[in-house]
Amino acid sequence: MKLVDIEKVKDNFLQEIEKEKSLEKKKKICKKYIEEELSSVFSLLKNASAKEKAELGRVANELRGIILKTQEEMKEKAKEKDDWFDVTLPGNKIEVGTLHPLTDLRRRCESIFLKMGFVVADGPELENEWYNFDALNFRPDHPVREMQDTLFVKQKERGSLESKNKFLMRTHTSPVQVRYMEKRKPPFRVIVPGRVFRNEATDSSHEINFYQLEGLMVGEGVSIANFKSVIGYFLGELFNAEVKLRLRPSYFPFTEPSFEVDVSCSICKMKGCSVCQQTGWIEIMGAGMVHPNVLESAKVDSEKYSGFAFGCGLDRIAMIENKINDIRLFYGGDLRFLKQF
Amino acid sequence: MKFSYNFLQSFFKEKLPSPEELGEILMMHFFEVEEVKKIEEDYVLDIDILSNRAGDCFSHTGVAREIAAITGMKFEEPEVKIKEKGEDIAERIEVDVRSACKRYMLRAVDNVTVKSSPIYIQKRLRACGVNPINNIVDAANYVMLETGQPLHVFDADKIEGEKISVRYARKREKIVTLDEKRHELNDNILLIADELSPLGIAGIKGGIVPEIDKETKRVYIESANFDSVTIRRGSNDLKIRTDASLRFEHGLSTEFTKIALDRVVQLITEVAGGDLLKGVIDYYPEKEKEKEINFDIDELRKVLGTEISIKEVEKILRALDFKIQRGGSKFFVTVPFFRVDVSIKEDVFEEIGRIYGYENIKPIVPEKEIVPAEENIDLFIANECKDILKNTGLNEAYSYSFINEEASLYFKKDELIEMEKPVSLEFKYLRPSLLLNLFKFLAENEKNYSHASLFEIGSIFKRKEGVFFEEKVISVVLLGDDFYRAKGVVDVFLKNITGETAIYKKKDGVSLLDYNKTADVVINNVVVGVIGEICPKLKKHMKIKGSVFGVELSFEKIKSFYKETKTYEEILRFPPVLRDLAVLVPEKTEYEEVLKKMTKEGGSLLRRIELFDTYEGKEIPQGTKSFAFRLIFQSKSKTLSSEEVNKTQEKIIETLEATPEWKVRK
Repeated sequence: MKLVDIEKVKDNFLQEIEKEKSLEKKKKICKKYIEEELSSVFSLLKNASAKEKAELGRVANELRGIILKTQEEMKEKAKEKDDWFDVTLPGNKIEVGTLHPLTDLRRRCESIFLKMGFVVADGPELENEWYNFDALNFRPDHPVREMQDTLFVKQKERGSLESKNKFLMRTHTSPVQVRYMEKRKPPFRVIVPGRVFRNEATDSSHEINFYQLEGLMVGEGVSIANFKSVIGYFLGELFNAEVKLRLRPSYFPFTEPSFEVDVSCSICKMKGCSVCQQTGWIEIMGAGMVHPNVLESAKVDSEKYSGFAFGCGLDRIAMIENKINDIRLFYGGDLRFLKQF
Repeated sequence: MKFSYNFLQSFFKEKLPSPEELGEILMMHFFEVEEVKKIEEDYVLDIDILSNRAGDCFSHTGVAREIAAITGMKFEEPEVKIKEKGEDIAERIEVDVRSACKRYMLRAVDNVTVKSSPIYIQKRLRACGVNPINNIVDAANYVMLETGQPLHVFDADKIEGEKISVRYARKREKIVTLDEKRHELNDNILLIADELSPLGIAGIKGGIVPEIDKETKRVYIESANFDSVTIRRGSNDLKIRTDASLRFEHGLSTEFTKIALDRVVQLITEVAGGDLLKGVIDYYPEKEKEKEINFDIDELRKVLGTEISIKEVEKILRALDFKIQRGGSKFFVTVPFFRVDVSIKEDVFEEIGRIYGYENIKPIVPEKEIVPAEENIDLFIANECKDILKNTGLNEAYSYSFINEEASLYFKKDELIEMEKPVSLEFKYLRPSLLLNLFKFLAENEKNYSHASLFEIGSIFKRKEGVFFEEKVISVVLLGDDFYRAKGVVDVFLKNITGETAIYKKKDGVSLLDYNKTADVVINNVVVGVIGEICPKLKKHMKIKGSVFGVELSFEKIKSFYKETKTYEEILRFPPVLRDLAVLVPEKTEYEEVLKKMTKEGGSLLRRIELFDTYEGKEIPQGTKSFAFRLIFQSKSKTLSSEEVNKTQEKIIETLEATPEWKVRK
């Protein structure tokens, strides 16, 4: 028995294992080497001289170690194979709640404006006529005050009451402009998200209550150019795209000048689609420079300060963004809808 | 409002831009053009003229002037020359204006020939949605479309007496209008009448009596300026809206009264022949004043945020018919009579801004003043509330702010706020609670789900002693769960928002909830809300099968307990000692009562009490139940000995058993 012989057994073993693909056969190889080769090595070892014994014994033990370890590995592998399981079976159902899509949108809008130093304010939904109309420069005989569009509260001898005592459901979030300003000193940067009301029949694009986001920035020398910058940033962040703005003349009693703001359609990249009605533009908000009469109503010096205000419908933006085709889904409480957000 | 492209072209020698281009230009500098449509050899532009410009732009002249100002093209109004002949109108008729009329003018033309209008007039009328009738009526309508001033024509021979008056109708007075419809009038409605009967509803619609027909030879032409509110109310009362009433409702300059009258008599004599009588009746008690506005160009530049030149400003204002005097940077402008909407410098700035073009103003980032933004604590807390409720697995819903008549039966009538004229009875009252609409949502959802849990944070509205109140509340509703799941939601919610543990006190008589299964939610002796099962009557009415629970908490009260920072409580190093204890009590004993007694006696060593079982059944006497508690004793400063724990436990048992019918089973 020589050292080379043992080395040869080792090489043979490793080669055989290497060549063999089947796990079962590899296990058989291990068994064969343990039962036949190893025992013959060790029995031959007995005949070796004491001097050789130490060296040969060490190598033989090393060989045994290698074979046993390989056998162990094969067993582990076989076991792993038996532990097969289906990763494609469905996971456990873990229920989490959801926030309303309009809550999500409000929060996104709020966080964009917060970055520009705007604060969030709110005011009552049940408002008096003075804040809703008078303070916002609606003439006493303005048709909107008689229009069926406004939801008035039934009050005895309504006609003889002063406008501060006549109640209605606010038709816009603009009354909060005045409520906010009259209690503070300029400059102002504020947004007002909130529920507003129209007395109109409901259909897929009209609701009796819906949400507006109002904004106001007042200071010395606040200009239309500033408006374009602030709103450009807001809409760019909101739609997460490079957007273009378009200001068109319009009319609101509480702003002068007044304009409608269109934003380039980020859905079709202005190529024309159903959302922008093939025009490439989406009408997104009404805006303008705060009318001096409104500043005066709120006890702000209109000679010293100027500012812009704007208002946009949150429902419509959420409908565009989430591809919702019926505004009534927002107020229907249907879990099949709510659970999607 | 519809405008004829050919009609607009008639004010210009130069060719107008194509109808589509014109639409684009108007949209960017004037108002939105909703549609451009080809009709015969004309185009119709449907322009959304907003109410502030009704006074001058419910007319082709007004829109043509805008086109001239925007494009720089030369614009010419038709030249008006009239020739009078024969007797003076004043010898024939007298006008008595009693109310609601700022100016009233009348002219007469004799010997007209009633026939069809020239084709160009008929086409332009049709393009604007007006039906041609005959040359006299068409001329009046044509001049209205041209100038914006409504006009009316009468057959002079059908008028009784020698006096025309402008007066309010008498109660129950009646009139048959030109469309042969009969109307009963009221004393808000202004009339034009002869000495016998009404001739027409002033500013709204003519009567059939003095109608122009083929035999008509002598006509009176009325041009007047009626009070806008009177016309609007009358038109609403009678539910008649006409081209005339629309224009009067918005108000227009009294200068138009004369301009349009001159123009129409010229057109009538042109298309129907006849002789224009001398003179004119002109009731005009108060002449309109010219408006003057001063501003500095720096103010304008500050508002626009752009360095517009003096030359540019002058060019724009002149094109819009403003008269200008200037001293350096100071402008003194006179507003043209037809611009009833312009009265302050900001109005002038808008004129300059829109013609200059908002697209020519470059965005400028506002200079940021260092003003620390105040935090909106309400919003912050509301957001946190929503997040916690969401994290407990609830779905946020938004419900209507209104309830219907039927639902109102569940509330006290005098606490409800009623709407004046809601579009549907579904919206008759403001919601005095969120629960009702949320229960309705559960009923709907039960078609698809056996379990559902919703929450909403919103305003509710109540009337107390005639005063209106609006209050924010937080509501939760559950379907298919029991009372204790609802309570669990409230507990975890309050723990997170207020850091407090609420106690629940049974109460009765809350709207919408079951008389026997309702409790107040109490923090530190303050009732912050209610929790309970839906009342059986409402549940039946809503056809809900599963169990339904509701919670409504006052936002203000929750806010008052809001804790932003939480205080760390030291983790105890010494081992706890556990003892189990079963208490046998009469079945109608509240858990809270048992708990209180143990807590009080346990002192500071008794760290926690956990209820791990409640038993009612065969093994214990009828009419009793057993609470199984685990008591956890732990000290901050040492390892507790058995003796110490035993002593406290004994004291607890003693106290419990001191209550009649209570027994401790060890």
